[in-house]
Amino acid sequence: MNKTKRIIAIFFVLWMAGVSAINANEFTDAKASQDKLKSLAGQYPDFAKYEVLTSTPAGNNLGVLTLGRGNAAEKPAIALVGGIEGPHLFGTKLAIEFAEKVLGQTGNKQISALLDSVCFYVIPSINPDAAQSYFTSLRYERRGNGSPTDLDRDGRIAEDGYDDLNRDGLISMMRIADPTGKWMPHPADERIMVEARPAQGETGSYLYLTEGIDNDKDESFNEDGDEGVIINRNFAFKHPFFTTGSGEHAMSEVETRAIADFLYDAKNVFAVVSFGPANNLSKPLSYNEREASARIHTGWKKDDITLNEQISHLYNKHLGKMAPAEQSGSDGDFFQWAYFHYGRFSFSTPGWTFPDTAKTDKDAPKSQELNFLKWAEANKIENAFIPWTAIDHPDFPNKKVEVGGLAPFAMINPPANMHDTIIDIHTNFLLDLARMRPRIEIRDVKTEHIGRGLYRVTAEIANPGDFPTASQTGEMVRWMQKTVVRLTPARGQEIISGNVVEVFGAMGPRSSVKRSWIIKGDGTIMLRAGGEPTGFDQKDISL
Amino acid sequence: MRFYLSVIILFFTLQHLSYKAKSQNDGGPIEDFFFKAPGTPPNPKVTIHWNRYNTNEGLYEIYQKMVAAYPELVTLETIGKSYEGRDLWLLTITEQNKPGIEKPALWIDGNIHSNEIQASEVALYTAWYLTENYETNAHIRQLLHEKVFYILPVMNPDGRENYMNEPNTSSSPRSGTQPYDDDGDGVEGEDGFYDLNNDGHITQMRRRNPMGRWIEDPEDPRRLIPAPAGQFGDWDLLGFEAIDADGDGQMGEDRPAGYYDPNRDWGWNWQPDYAQRGAYKYPFSHPETRAVRDFAMAHPNISGVLTHHNMGGMFLRGPGYEPDLQYFLPEDLRIYDALGAMGEKLVPGYNYLISYRDLYPVLGGQRDWFHMMRGAFTYTVELFTRYYYFHDENRDGNRNRSSDVYTFDKYLLFGDAFVPWTDIKHPQHGEIQVGGFKKNYVRVNPGFMLEEEAHRVTAYSIFHAWHTPGLEITELSITDLGDGLTEVLATVTNTRMTPTHSGVNLKFSIDRPDYIVLEGADVVAGMIVKNRYLNQVEEQIVDPASLEIENIPGMSGVTVKWIVQNVENISITVDSPKGGVIRKSLE
Repeated sequence: MNKTKRIIAIFFVLWMAGVSAINANEFTDAKASQDKLKSLAGQYPDFAKYEVLTSTPAGNNLGVLTLGRGNAAEKPAIALVGGIEGPHLFGTKLAIEFAEKVLGQTGNKQISALLDSVCFYVIPSINPDAAQSYFTSLRYERRGNGSPTDLDRDGRIAEDGYDDLNRDGLISMMRIADPTGKWMPHPADERIMVEARPAQGETGSYLYLTEGIDNDKDESFNEDGDEGVIINRNFAFKHPFFTTGSGEHAMSEVETRAIADFLYDAKNVFAVVSFGPANNLSKPLSYNEREASARIHTGWKKDDITLNEQISHLYNKHLGKMAPAEQSGSDGDFFQWAYFHYGRFSFSTPGWTFPDTAKTDKDAPKSQELNFLKWAEANKIENAFIPWTAIDHPDFPNKKVEVGGLAPFAMINPPANMHDTIIDIHTNFLLDLARMRPRIEIRDVKTEHIGRGLYRVTAEIANPGDFPTASQTGEMVRWMQKTVVRLTPARGQEIISGNVVEVFGAMGPRSSVKRSWIIKGDGTIMLRAGGEPTGFDQKDISL
Repeated sequence: MRFYLSVIILFFTLQHLSYKAKSQNDGGPIEDFFFKAPGTPPNPKVTIHWNRYNTNEGLYEIYQKMVAAYPELVTLETIGKSYEGRDLWLLTITEQNKPGIEKPALWIDGNIHSNEIQASEVALYTAWYLTENYETNAHIRQLLHEKVFYILPVMNPDGRENYMNEPNTSSSPRSGTQPYDDDGDGVEGEDGFYDLNNDGHITQMRRRNPMGRWIEDPEDPRRLIPAPAGQFGDWDLLGFEAIDADGDGQMGEDRPAGYYDPNRDWGWNWQPDYAQRGAYKYPFSHPETRAVRDFAMAHPNISGVLTHHNMGGMFLRGPGYEPDLQYFLPEDLRIYDALGAMGEKLVPGYNYLISYRDLYPVLGGQRDWFHMMRGAFTYTVELFTRYYYFHDENRDGNRNRSSDVYTFDKYLLFGDAFVPWTDIKHPQHGEIQVGGFKKNYVRVNPGFMLEEEAHRVTAYSIFHAWHTPGLEITELSITDLGDGLTEVLATVTNTRMTPTHSGVNLKFSIDRPDYIVLEGADVVAGMIVKNRYLNQVEEQIVDPASLEIENIPGMSGVTVKWIVQNVENISITVDSPKGGVIRKSLE
């Protein structure tokens, strides 16, 4: 089936069924997700291993499933990290089901052979505490973990959280008719609120706030609920210090450190793929010389951009028109940390964003929410919108207050009927990505007897992969193992010329270098080349 | 029998001594054996030799003696373990009149860098001096009544141990002892220093070479100087003692303890190794820095911080990185400058400097974390300066070129700091000589120079601690307003230089506001008085009994007012994260 047909099929299915935008059954909660990984490891002991990295402040396990046969630590690895943001449950599902699908295919020779030479570290969620909000009786798009945090830094913890005023089990928005308000109903759809643009002759008529009461009477609403630190704002690259949910300092949280510690120990990782809001797969990042060459560089290096372009091309080949919207990352996020501090190629995609194809009048205010609502209704997605209902609000005694708006989670996660297709496509993309891995081969070994017990040994050290052995930033960080070529003579043999050990800079994709040695004495010398991110090759050479 | 007799005699002698010591006071009669020098306890309960350095075990023994001698002033606790599992011992020095957390604190640490060992003795001197003078000195007594000192003499005990017990130079190790593959060849620590002459010091290697670049200095032949222009010298200098242990054509390129810098491991503007040499994995990725971080997070009362290093004779303030100048606000710089000026006066030879501008840029350093993210007034103290060798004003104290180190060793240490050049066979270089300064010279104080510097830096520390916020309720009065209503007026004065909230603390709401809480009456209304004579007030509607004050600046105060009814026993509590907790009741 070609892509166009596939997309048509998806929409057809959606149209036939009518999908609920928020249905607790389509995702697995923190415990069930970890149980799933554990059971996969039990089911496929030759190919999978489960390990708990830490327990979160709310007591959820944060685990990793290692996919690969044999000594996984010496095979080039992709770290696959989902659940970057709590409300993005699909990111977790994508990671878990990738593992399940790959393991399900280990009967297939091609797949089992691939797992002999690559490794996947699957971490389905970096912030299970936040994601857990989806599975509770009061559901909201929670981003913070379970660590008690004074979000507004006023000395009191969790003194003003959300309140379910319309008692529907969801936290949505509230609008308050008020002539001092800066918001107004969208002219194209009265249900959607937009900020009035005085320059266009528009005037506001509503206050527009998240659902809740000003519990601490400080005239801010819901500014300090019981959520803690946003893990995807807690990483050390461009850490947005002293901002809401960013933590007391970079890497302050157990989750952040557990992820970093695990990855630093996983020396074989050559690329990180995360399922989160950032997206450099649908569209590659662009090169900015000033940012890329600063002492503290904040832009990708040139060759790394070239590779990003290549991988993006591959991604779009798989995704076609389903490719989600681009987004270049945010301060303190995992995606950028993985490149700038961890030094690995870092790719990220949310897997899905709604196709933003709605046509609006060009003079009308732009609204993603409006476009989403149009798309959802065209595709018969139920419950995407919570109708505005009037309530009595203690903080606005004589005003018309309504609760409603887009349903939480709906805009972030794809409708259930699309899941399988998206997961299949991403699984195939990831397997193709793994096939492009960097590797080291020793080729064209030649020996010549140059007289009186002297031999010249020549060999080519090659990277036949489509990835370089390290990103350009990876070459600079201290935690990226370089390629090492080491010649070990037998007893009685002596190296007359050439290096006993040589540490290489990064080798480009599909490149090779020649080395030669002069050895005195007979026997078998061992030539070993490689590093964890590429794997190793070894040749025993008899002289 | 004779043994018992001597024990008994010794016992009585000691009794007598301590009795004499107690009865002796300043300017009093000479009663026994010694005469008090001003400013120093003549017969301390804990005797410490201030002309040598202590191992971790030696320090621990001293800590225990201090606890035994002054249980009411000293608390010893471990705040964590080092990489190798050594305890990180913290001394808390204060009077037990109220919990330490309710007093403004000065934090002092030392020896974050392994080889900078005198930092520990200087920190220890501060603890010792405070305890030994508490009884006799009114200023010290008041200080320990009001303030608390948190003193961590050794932040990096693994490094101290390694520096003292393993062959090292005066600069090694700087790190702790976690292994790291410095040369990236996939093997950790396979080719470090090699102590060719087995003396515990890593000194220089030199080789005779008629076409060499170096000659012996005619003034002191131990010293090599470059050959004159156009002439060959007699020697090659081959670097520190090392061999090529792993056959890779390099010497000493991958020491057992990896190179990293614990002072590039802190949570403000942390950057990776490529932008900041020495950075490790992420902020607080070492157990030692993490332990200090955890303690600091749990102790917002830390208002001032001194972190002892060597060398150069400096009080360094931030920023370590020029773009952070924006966070060193004028109101904070006034305090820094005043404290720094006093530091320069009390410790002659020291300069008050700005790190990025006057030394070098540092990202992810401890000092800037304490300033930026804990709101504490923080200095790096670089102990010892070569200026002290001969107090020569015309010589830049830190220039390596100077021959002063040789002259000083020759005429004041009589060669004790130098390993004479001796012949040795080197596996790669062949016939060479090994010699040079010992690891305990150049960066750490020579024995006789330690006590004075420790005292002067302690004097500065005491000044800094004195000027942490000093809150007093200077006014508490009531006025009957009629109709059963009473007005309560209170003024809280900060009698010292440091505000309860630095500028950067306020900018980022690092600490919560100070609370001034009224108890013993029903509060009808509460307000902060901006100008009592013009009745300019700011009412706090929510929870008026506990008024929130964003800051009480140094040498200044705040006045508050409540309207209350049903008066019983009115009392006021001031609860400030950095200014401590004080109470006053209406008589």
